[in-house]
Amino acid sequence: MAKDMTLLWGPGSPPCWRIMVALEEKGLQGYNSKMLSFEKGEHKSAEVMKVNPRGQLPSFTVGGTPLNESIGACFYLEDVYKSQGNKLIPDCPKEKAVMYQRIFEAMPLMDKMAIVVYYDYKVPEGERHDSAVKRNKETLTAELKLWEEYLQKTPGGFLAGKTFTLADVVLFPVIAYLFRMGLCEKRYPKLAAYHSALKDRPSIKTTWPPTWKENPQTQDTLKEM
Amino acid sequence: MAKSMNLLWGSGSPPCWRVMITLEEKKLQGYKHKLLSFEKGEHKSQEVLEINPRGQLPAFRHGDNIVNESAATCLYLENEFKSQGTKLIPDSPAERALMYQRMMEGLTLTDKLNAVIYYEWFVPEGERHNSAVNRNKEALATELKLWESYLQKVSAGSYLAGAFSLADVIVFPNIAFAFRFGLSVGRYPNLAKYYRFLKDRASIKSSWPPQWLPSAQGFDNLKDL
Repeated sequence: MAKDMTLLWGPGSPPCWRIMVALEEKGLQGYNSKMLSFEKGEHKSAEVMKVNPRGQLPSFTVGGTPLNESIGACFYLEDVYKSQGNKLIPDCPKEKAVMYQRIFEAMPLMDKMAIVVYYDYKVPEGERHDSAVKRNKETLTAELKLWEEYLQKTPGGFLAGKTFTLADVVLFPVIAYLFRMGLCEKRYPKLAAYHSALKDRPSIKTTWPPTWKENPQTQDTLKEM
Repeated sequence: MAKSMNLLWGSGSPPCWRVMITLEEKKLQGYKHKLLSFEKGEHKSQEVLEINPRGQLPAFRHGDNIVNESAATCLYLENEFKSQGTKLIPDSPAERALMYQRMMEGLTLTDKLNAVIYYEWFVPEGERHNSAVNRNKEALATELKLWESYLQKVSAGSYLAGAFSLADVIVFPNIAFAFRFGLSVGRYPNLAKYYRFLKDRASIKSSWPPQWLPSAQGFDNLKDL
């Protein structure tokens, strides 16, 4: 059960956070959990490499089998523990379809956010261009507008419809990260309302990044988006 | 069933191919489909934008349900049609965990292949650098070596997660794509074995990219990897 699972994670990392939310939703508290530091390079430690040759967090094992890819881990947990905790995949085919699509749309959203927020980290000095920085910001703005529209279409307040699903498990941490990086609530009112409505959900509140609790001040990186 | 499905696709696109393989495996032949041309920009046509506002292929509709993002489409189809055709998600939790892991890693492989093969498509002329091209090639070579190691024990009937599964649906098109673009069979013998074992599987053979057939000769972008 939970005791056969081990999660190595970094605070604030959306992929790590989403596994933690899924574990809470499925009533799997009691898993082995160790917080590591990206800044100290602990994601490249021998302990992580043993489980995840990519040297990335999350590193997650279930009964000894690595399941490091966070979206895969979320699907696995819902599948195998279907009959316990909260039901995270709706029965209605229409909502299920929306849920599946939104889950995989988390990837372009994260990529586009990362290339803006971490441009200098990802692109060596000699390869940086103002034209790229500008284009990346425009691309992220267009992506965020799309998510504002998506939230307009689901009056239930959740991403796939009337209930909290795996789509929210996968995406809430990304949206929270956007606001942590200073995204303007007035310009993105639907995203802001979503963020505000879900931040006190027990599975989310319990797993809120400890470093964000210690230092609630948001950053300015995305303030002008 | 199949008659209420519509797939807009492009030839040679691994994501499109994944959906077609799944439709075959789930015995959903007879679905409506339309081949579009990336070169002519048809992926940005009104017809596509109505189903997929991202202007990307595959664009897929089942009755009133739209499910874009190939991995989402494949998961949706496997779950809606669980009891027909091939079982694409293994029963045993250990194999299921491995399947989800490899399936999601397949999306990372896609990104790294695209970064090399479509470099000039993605990066405007004034922003291109040999240093980036080299770095992307090294990253792809490292990624492919990882897949070589995953397929050490490949044999007939034993693929990425045991029996043929969604992991193979997602990943096989990428491997076929890599060989089409000149990947060395000698340097990647396990990948070559995997390719040989699966290229004649009915669902794969019947959905083989049409423009790959008349000329067996591909390209040589990856020959030095």
